[in-house]
Amino acid sequence: MKTKQPIDAFARDLPPEIRESVYVGSKAKYDKRLDSLTQSFAAPDDIRKLAGQIKQHTLENLPEYLGSAIEKLEGNGAKVHYAKTGDDANQIILDIMRSVNATKLIKSKSMVSEEIHLNKFLEKNGCESIESDLGEFIVQLDDDMPSHIVTPIVHKNRKQIANTFEKAGLGDYNDDPQTITRRARSFLRNKYIEAEVGLTGGNFVSAETGRIALVTNEGNARFCISANKTHIALIGIEKVVPRDKDLAVLLNLLARSATGQQLTVYTQFINGPKSEAQPDGPENMHVIFLDNERSNILGSEFKEILRCIRCGACLNVCPIYRQSSGHAYRAVYPGPVGAVLSPLLAGKRYPEYADLPKASSLCGACNEVCPVDIPLPELLLRHRNKAKREGIKKASAGTPSMAGWSVLCSTPAMWKTSLRAGKAMDYISLNLIPVPAVQAWAKERSLPPFRGGKFRKWFKDRQKNK
Amino acid sequence: MLATDRVTGTQVQLMMTCLCDTFFDSVAQATVEVLEHVGCTVEVPEAQTCCGQPAFNSGDWDSTRKVARHTCRTFDSSKPTILPSGSCSHMISHGYDLAFEKEDDLSTAQTFAKSSWELCDFLVNGLGIESWPGRFDAKISLHRSCHTRGTQTYQSAVKLLSSIEGVELIEFDESEQCCGFGGTFSVAYPNTSVSMGKLKIEKLTADKPDIVGAVDMACMMHLSGIANKQGRQFNKLHVSEILMKALRNAK
Amino acid sequence: MNKSEFFKPIEDAVNLIPDSKRTPLPDWDLETIRTTQMPSDTDRDALWDAFKTRFDLVHGKCTEGRADLLSLLKEESVTAGYVAPELKADLKPWLQQSGIEIHTSLDDSQIDTYEFGITRAAGVIAETGTIILKDQSTSSRLGALSPWIHIAVLPDDAPIYPTLFDAMNDLGNDPYIVFATGPSKTADVEGILIEGVHGPGIQICSRMKSRH
Ligand code: SF4
Repeated sequence: MKTKQPIDAFARDLPPEIRESVYVGSKAKYDKRLDSLTQSFAAPDDIRKLAGQIKQHTLENLPEYLGSAIEKLEGNGAKVHYAKTGDDANQIILDIMRSVNATKLIKSKSMVSEEIHLNKFLEKNGCESIESDLGEFIVQLDDDMPSHIVTPIVHKNRKQIANTFEKAGLGDYNDDPQTITRRARSFLRNKYIEAEVGLTGGNFVSAETGRIALVTNEGNARFCISANKTHIALIGIEKVVPRDKDLAVLLNLLARSATGQQLTVYTQFINGPKSEAQPDGPENMHVIFLDNERSNILGSEFKEILRCIRCGACLNVCPIYRQSSGHAYRAVYPGPVGAVLSPLLAGKRYPEYADLPKASSLCGACNEVCPVDIPLPELLLRHRNKAKREGIKKASAGTPSMAGWSVLCSTPAMWKTSLRAGKAMDYISLNLIPVPAVQAWAKERSLPPFRGGKFRKWFKDRQKNK
Repeated sequence: MLATDRVTGTQVQLMMTCLCDTFFDSVAQATVEVLEHVGCTVEVPEAQTCCGQPAFNSGDWDSTRKVARHTCRTFDSSKPTILPSGSCSHMISHGYDLAFEKEDDLSTAQTFAKSSWELCDFLVNGLGIESWPGRFDAKISLHRSCHTRGTQTYQSAVKLLSSIEGVELIEFDESEQCCGFGGTFSVAYPNTSVSMGKLKIEKLTADKPDIVGAVDMACMMHLSGIANKQGRQFNKLHVSEILMKALRNAK
Repeated sequence: MNKSEFFKPIEDAVNLIPDSKRTPLPDWDLETIRTTQMPSDTDRDALWDAFKTRFDLVHGKCTEGRADLLSLLKEESVTAGYVAPELKADLKPWLQQSGIEIHTSLDDSQIDTYEFGITRAAGVIAETGTIILKDQSTSSRLGALSPWIHIAVLPDDAPIYPTLFDAMNDLGNDPYIVFATGPSKTADVEGILIEGVHGPGIQICSRMKSRH
């Protein structure tokens, strides 16, 4: 069917096997999430709400909490840097590498580093930057984009991966997942040892102690801060929480929401360079706090999106994501969270992404699963309203104008006339009505018989006869 | 919203919703009969049109307010207003808050919101009805209708329906998933919308129910519209119609 | 960019929020996040049993005492491994007697020669089946990470925390702490679970009586 919305077109043209992979993966994660939460907690919803409040409170008092985290980190021997933009962050990373004469960097999974396109930047500047998360590694080999924030290659199947490995010289074609994993293991071990700098993200930072909580299932983040002497943690300013104990709430929810695990396999707490007695690990630790539009978001009607802990649950449950896949969203963060966040992170390029908030039936499933209770549908609506106020065509394409309709609906006499006139709809084929919205409806859907005003008449007669 | 904050009583107004005004008169009729059965006196204000949701979801909040103000004027906030739709009542109880956020008449909208109820929610939480008399022999899969999330509607509907003799509510897969209607989404995203609808129909009818039930005719219009085009119609009923049929069977 | 320039827009943003709309810091305690997995009996042996149950669910393996550990290693037919220096006196002689080559320092460039690594756990968590590794008690980060088999020795004096919450409240000021809940794993390829991606494919927790 014809469509004016790029995500709808992407969904229409998506190869069925990709839709199937995305659907199966999403459903499995959704089910596991639900099982693990309901098995563990009497009232999981209360904990989601609590987590939402903790994050919201922190954001509303971010200067104090971020300030305290920085003070603690510095006290623990880490060097703290401030990056206003993605470009600033990239430059800081390059400068750190140069300061230790490094040309090789190994990275654990970090959405922020995707957001600022770090790999490309380092490569351009003559440095090697290797992804060590298995999924991200495959994405990098393919020069592809992750399509999910937790499971980046949910859009690929084993055959495609086997081809990629063969092309990259990682052995003959073999599509056994175990073999694929072992080959990545042995290739990446050498990369860990060779790299001079390890870069990680950070899932949470405690303002109380400066502790950075970092989770991975594969152990790649552990390797990134064991085998080399410099550690860079690149972290968005919104990752702060007030106290160590609050980490217990968020960690309890993060893994359950993301993969249905009680806890992620490796949950690490880092609050400084290695201790003297420890032979392995970084002697220098750099923490880069990244703003990149976040302070603007904080001051806007979209601030709640900064609570996000990147669990991916809203993607997994989202029917539009399931139909269209993550790549449809044209940005690092797909699904409902991406539909809210990507236009905002785009800054001045907001209009380019103003169609993303339209990719929702506003069913509210995303809010229902969000571990920090972000009112995603409300934020999507605010975007739609903003786009309407600013007259952004990309957002309104395909949506019928409501101006005339609102006059109709606020003028009872007109409304009643149209109830009579609507009868005409029964006599002409909808396919012949040259209104795009009607066409869009009628191609694969019929309308029920028009019965305008019938109830009103029935009710009046009934009152008369009483 | 807590039941105690809300306006209740047996002198009620029906907001039939624009869909029942144009297509589904039987649902509005059934709603009247159900309300009268439980002792309500029902008024149907003539000037009513629509809650304003289509404009709201499309982002046009000026138009939304125009319609919403008309609706607030049309209904008397001192009496309960009953809607046979989870979606429209959600619009009034939540959407208005957002659309009027920065407006001087926010409190007018909120006062009206406190008097508005979805039918099943009203029966159970407004009037304290726990079970429904009569008989209706059918296997029913009840679509959840997304806008009832976070409200009492779905569980109230389940409570009433499952108390009817002969009704068997069947479980189906992916009950949390949306039917794909979404108001203007259905025409702005026709491909996605229809694909979602097809999947929903598959799940709803997997166990061969006699009836597909809903608390909202918008979802139904979309789903049966698709099924119709595919030439595989299913029997559909709004909860009010099931309640009414059960009453008739008792007589 | 300097700190105050960086902070300015953040301060401006939060100053826009009216006091009436501010969310207070919620107070909560262990009860708030009570899970059904929380052990009710906090006697050490009962906690160990609870840990074992949970650890088993995340595909970890528990052993008690030396013989048990040795038979597990034999099953995996290991020939050489790393033993943390502080465990050397306890473990090296009898492992060597069993024909296993033991290294007590780790050579980065040879990490694949160590088929197993034995290091000390700082404690475990019963509720989640988690081993706690800290820099202070783990002599080598790589020794606990790079070999295929990792054995975390839980000595008598190391705590068994009933819950994650209890462990979180006792982190101390170690610069690096890892909670390891089972072997390294991925489901990136078609959602199929594969264990042993970058870290250990076999994760063992071995409860041992201290010699003294
Ligand atoms: S918005 Fe909520 S559900 Fe979505 S990724 Fe973020 S935390 Fe998870």
